[in-house]
Amino acid sequence: MKLFKFAQSRSLWMMHFCTGCGAVELPPTMTSRFDMERFGIIPMATPRQSDLLLITGYLTVKTLKRVVRAYEQMPTPRYVIGFGSCTINGGMYWDSYNVIKKLELYIPVDLYINGCMPRPEAIIDAFLKLREMIDKGEANAWKKYIENYEWYKKNQAEVFDVEKWSLKK
Amino acid sequence: MTVEETIKKDIETTFGELVRVEIERKHRVRAYTPRNMVLPMLAYLKQRGFHQFTLLTCVDWIKDGKFELVYNLYSLNYNVHVLISTKINRDKATMPTAINVYEMAFDYEREIHEMFGVEFEGHPRLDEFLLEDWKGIPPMRKDFDTRKYVEEKYGMKDLTKELFTRKEQPYRGPGSNG
Ligand code: SF4
Repeated sequence: MKLFKFAQSRSLWMMHFCTGCGAVELPPTMTSRFDMERFGIIPMATPRQSDLLLITGYLTVKTLKRVVRAYEQMPTPRYVIGFGSCTINGGMYWDSYNVIKKLELYIPVDLYINGCMPRPEAIIDAFLKLREMIDKGEANAWKKYIENYEWYKKNQAEVFDVEKWSLKK
Repeated sequence: MTVEETIKKDIETTFGELVRVEIERKHRVRAYTPRNMVLPMLAYLKQRGFHQFTLLTCVDWIKDGKFELVYNLYSLNYNVHVLISTKINRDKATMPTAINVYEMAFDYEREIHEMFGVEFEGHPRLDEFLLEDWKGIPPMRKDFDTRKYVEEKYGMKDLTKELFTRKEQPYRGPGSNG
């Protein structure tokens, strides 16, 4: 088990869902200046091959639907990092009519990065923290989604039409 | 005579009493037009050289019970904007579509329909555009209560309460720990 966790936490494949302005901090994080590849984290193109979903910023209702679909396609164990204050409480969009406020009502979040927008140092810091959490077996938010599936679906149904959006017909 | 004055005079000689034309400033002419004269006006200005349909926007004059639609045209030759503004009734707002004159109006009209609820008669596709699964009144209307909507829909009751009852902490500059 320990070996599994070690392996998992040191080769995280990340899908970054670049929804908000904070996404501009990712290119420096990925490339040579901050170079997240030295921690075994690489950007991945599809949700089906990634372990980590990085939500960078505000989500409109329209985008949230896509995020939920992407999240449900990811294989377990899967981790979510909410990036920027917009994912915590709406940030500067706290009274916007079409932006969701608390990401954790709709999908479970392991870790938040505070700030508007967080610098690459903060992102690297969060990756290291996530690695630590996986090693200790604390990053279990994906289990919450399976156990409380109904609750998450109920919350999602409050903002969009879950039936119409689901893949099963 | 400047270009703006020539355009003003041309519009006035063509449409006479029906429209009131003002030169707002350099490069900008505004024509207050009744609802039924908007399409003839657009057609006239298009053959007069205003080939670019820059913008269609809407203003909600809730106290007068009116929507003001503003059609914004531009001509590269004259370097002049012409704004055609017209007032329509606010409840059951309808307007004939302008896509037969300017195709560009297609998406603008969809947007205005979604954000203000104006029906564009003859428009082939007035369905969901920017918002999805929207229930409730269109969000850009003045009688739409954003904060109430947000509190109910996104579970923000506690947070907004906290934000508005918290005592103001004076900012004492960086490094002062609050
Ligand atoms: S937290 Fe700030 S930088 Fe990030 S998406 Fe929101 S407004 Fe943009």
